[in-house]
Amino acid sequence: MNTPVVRVVDLWKEYRENGQAVTQALRGANLEVAPGEVVALFGKSGSGKTTLLNLLAGLDRPTRGTVEINGRCLEQLGEAGRTELRRSRLGFIFQFFNLLPTLTAYENVFLALELAGRIQPQAARDALERVGLKGKEHRYPHELSGGEQQRVAVARAIVKEPSLILADEPTGNLDTATGDQILQLITERCRQGGTSLLMVTHTPLACRYADRILKMVDGVVTEDEKCR
Amino acid sequence: MRTVTRSFLRHLYRRRSLSLLQLLGIACGVAAVVGMALSARSALSSFSQAVEFLRGKSTHTLERLAGPMDESILRQLAADPAVVSFAPVLERRLKLGNGDLVRLLGIDPFLDRAIRPELSRVPFERRTSRSFEDSIAFLTDERAVLIEAGLARTLGLATGGSVPTLKGPLRVVGSFANPSGEPLILMDIAHTQKLLGLGGRIDHVDLILDDEGGFASRWREGYRIQSKRQRQDTFGAMVGAFRLNLEALSLMALFVSVFLIYNTAMFAVVSRRRDAGILRSLGASRAEVAGAFLTEIALFGTLGGLAGSLFGFLLSRALTEVIGGTISSLYFFLRTAPMPWSWWVPAAGVAVGLGASLLGSLYPLVELTRTDPAVTLRGRSGSRGNRRRAWIVALAGAGCLIASILLLAFFSKRVYAAFIGVFGFLFGLSLLTGVIMVLAEPLLGRVLASFGGLPGRIAAGNIIRNLGRTGVAVAAFMMALSLSIGLGSMIGSFRQSLIWWMGTQLRGDLYVSNASDMEVPEGFYEEIRGIPGVGGVDTYRKAQVTYRGRAIHVAAIQAGVLQRFARFGWVEGGDGHWEAVKRGDVIVSESFARSFGASPGGVVTLEGAKGPVDLRIEGVFYDYSTEHGLVMMDRATYIALYGDRTINSIAVFIDPSEPRKRRILDDIRARAAARGLPVSTREQFHRNILEVFDSTFAVTRSMRIMAIVIAFFGITGALLTLFIERRRDFGILRALGFSTGQVARMTLLEALGMGIVSFALSSGVGTVLAVLLIRVINLRSFNWTVFYFPDWQPYAVTAATALAASLGAALYPIWKVHRTYPQMQIREE
Repeated sequence: MNTPVVRVVDLWKEYRENGQAVTQALRGANLEVAPGEVVALFGKSGSGKTTLLNLLAGLDRPTRGTVEINGRCLEQLGEAGRTELRRSRLGFIFQFFNLLPTLTAYENVFLALELAGRIQPQAARDALERVGLKGKEHRYPHELSGGEQQRVAVARAIVKEPSLILADEPTGNLDTATGDQILQLITERCRQGGTSLLMVTHTPLACRYADRILKMVDGVVTEDEKCR
Repeated sequence: MRTVTRSFLRHLYRRRSLSLLQLLGIACGVAAVVGMALSARSALSSFSQAVEFLRGKSTHTLERLAGPMDESILRQLAADPAVVSFAPVLERRLKLGNGDLVRLLGIDPFLDRAIRPELSRVPFERRTSRSFEDSIAFLTDERAVLIEAGLARTLGLATGGSVPTLKGPLRVVGSFANPSGEPLILMDIAHTQKLLGLGGRIDHVDLILDDEGGFASRWREGYRIQSKRQRQDTFGAMVGAFRLNLEALSLMALFVSVFLIYNTAMFAVVSRRRDAGILRSLGASRAEVAGAFLTEIALFGTLGGLAGSLFGFLLSRALTEVIGGTISSLYFFLRTAPMPWSWWVPAAGVAVGLGASLLGSLYPLVELTRTDPAVTLRGRSGSRGNRRRAWIVALAGAGCLIASILLLAFFSKRVYAAFIGVFGFLFGLSLLTGVIMVLAEPLLGRVLASFGGLPGRIAAGNIIRNLGRTGVAVAAFMMALSLSIGLGSMIGSFRQSLIWWMGTQLRGDLYVSNASDMEVPEGFYEEIRGIPGVGGVDTYRKAQVTYRGRAIHVAAIQAGVLQRFARFGWVEGGDGHWEAVKRGDVIVSESFARSFGASPGGVVTLEGAKGPVDLRIEGVFYDYSTEHGLVMMDRATYIALYGDRTINSIAVFIDPSEPRKRRILDDIRARAAARGLPVSTREQFHRNILEVFDSTFAVTRSMRIMAIVIAFFGITGALLTLFIERRRDFGILRALGFSTGQVARMTLLEALGMGIVSFALSSGVGTVLAVLLIRVINLRSFNWTVFYFPDWQPYAVTAATALAASLGAALYPIWKVHRTYPQMQIREE
């Protein structure tokens, strides 16, 4: 059996203020994502979805429990190891795009390659072409529509051919039609590249593209047979 | 990371208004430090060079303990076996026709060749017929002078020209280069004696000795022999306190500047938190993110440092003259030359700009790299963290305050420790700013709401919720305003103390001559004393002598006259002291008493013409004429001690009951004019002293202005950063129905709120600073008591400045609101 790309065991995250736990965002979450699998994670606001993604990306540290990416425990990797993992094995797509406003579309995509130590300008251009932005490489984020900005973010995520893409409400800031296009684009590119996708979302459209649907309730992940 | 660096550089361009403000802020900070340091250095270096040049190659100087000496001693010196060379000198200030003062040096051109060869070389060694004629003219023409080349250029004079002076025109027979750059007029000593009415007298003799011990044994009694080193030390000690104050002012400039640059660097870091989060999520390491920020900050520091060094250099041209004027007024007649441009100037500017920027960005950078990227990606949000942090910073501030108070309490006698204590105290208080703002939030909210309703309430909330940014800006602004109040109150109190002091000591109806190197003929004094209706004439003679290896001043007065007409301010006792002074006791100034631990009933031993003399100290009086210490005695005691009958000035007191007062004063004026002696009334004399005082503090005032300019940029930068960061909030407000005018009012009230808080804090801190400057720094630096006179003026000026600066700072953001508000959207990019 293949090693899961993501393996989460009994994951807890508490936010503290003045030394006392005030919020329990995760309460023993468990999760596995297989290679190439497209998983949609639903849940109400405040259920802990974004916290889970941040922990999977190593951007935040759990209170207890383990997170393994490609069989490697994030806690044991250390700060440098987690940074390296984000550079080479992980892609991130955000609701608010999070493009660097002072870089062009091409430069935003190329930055991901540069960080991964791959100086391949053509790969960045190809990635932009694959998301349908040929001819708009030299535009700044503010010169692009919301959908186009998210396409740049998708190109930035896929360009380094990661094993896992984490998407945090990638259509949350887009209209339905554009959101549908983006979902199609992300899932297609992931499937083409054999990349796993864990997508936090509210949109029922995601059911159409996901291999598996999960639901997050009060910090715990459960399987959801029926799509909303 | 080339792409990241590129993105950062583009960020600077995209927010060019803010970048320009930040750059100007750093440049102003650097300019203040460089300008102050350069001008202090120029003035003090001109001072050393002038002293060095005037002493030439002499190894020693011989002079009377007080006053000029008879030139007959030259014969004895010529016969002394220890003397290799000697040159007599008569040195006075000379007022030119245009009002400028220059140094007139009377020398013997033949004897002087060994001491100051560069002065005699030009006219006496060229073998042209014209030079020969000029050389002869220098010796034969009573009005012939050599003039320093720079002065000749300034006056547009060439050989054969004429220099108009208050002593009549002088004929230029040549010019010479003075490496110290000081304007100088050189004259044959015999002609100088005649010009000044000092026939047969010389001030000192410059010597080259080969047996110091032997020479000293023969000339010990009645003379002072000083080696070149001792002379330098004496001059160095003379300006010691002044130098220290200049250093303190430079440090103050540095202090405020570092605060501002810190402010700027912090904004640069804080406003890029989100970018840092994106980079971290893409896999950039903490070090790489920090490195990219450092590149931006280093660029700011370097460019700001370069621009600042240029501003600072230009500033130093103006300040050097001001500082030189102060040295001339108080210590040693000097014409200062500003420092020439050197590549060290931008190097120093970059070092200051870069150093302060890196220092300023250190804490925000560490904080940024420690913050979870997940948190930075969430964007700005209200947090209780700011308040908690404010308390932690306040605790550090309290620690700093306690340490400073301990330093001031236990080591305040050491002036450097006192300075460190004062700076530490200020820094500690600045760290309390955040917590005071938190505590004052309800009050601020009410005040701003009363001005602007809902926008006012939101403005108050914005100030407190963005404490990380506003706290530092308010602290920097508060510090600058405190400096303004502190320095203003100190100067005001000092001025009032001086006015009080003049009222006690300088009560004459008319003053004839008031410069310490001028002389009033004794016969003139006798003549005035004999005029019917004149109640008394006080003769004043002030001479510099050495006491316990340090330069002090001795003043000779007419005790009987002062007993009747003056009302001295006594540290202890009252006017009953004059009886003892008439009998031969002395009174000493407060600065003397503090410097040497002297007290009434004690003895001061002065080296007299016939050996050491013990003089009983009768009383201690307040005095601001010299910080080196003044021993005042009756003229009879002085003459017995030094044999010097010189009178520098006289004060004429008319009997209060005399009905012909005006006519008598006119008569005295006419008699003085006939002898070429300047006359001033009491009011004019007081005004002259106050003018000197004001010019002395001109540089301090410049620092006040610089502090305000620096603070202005600080608060403008803070506002603009807040504005840029909150554009999304503005979009929300727009969606809620806020008009452009309301958003503009909110921005204005935020600025006003920060100005009000800064001013309120600075009123307290500035008052404490004034008291520290008066009670600790002035006392330790100058050994005199300045009385604290509370005055509303510095507070009013500072309040107006705070208001103008904060409102001025809001103008640009308001303009941006008007220009862009309609297009603002509720979105991140």
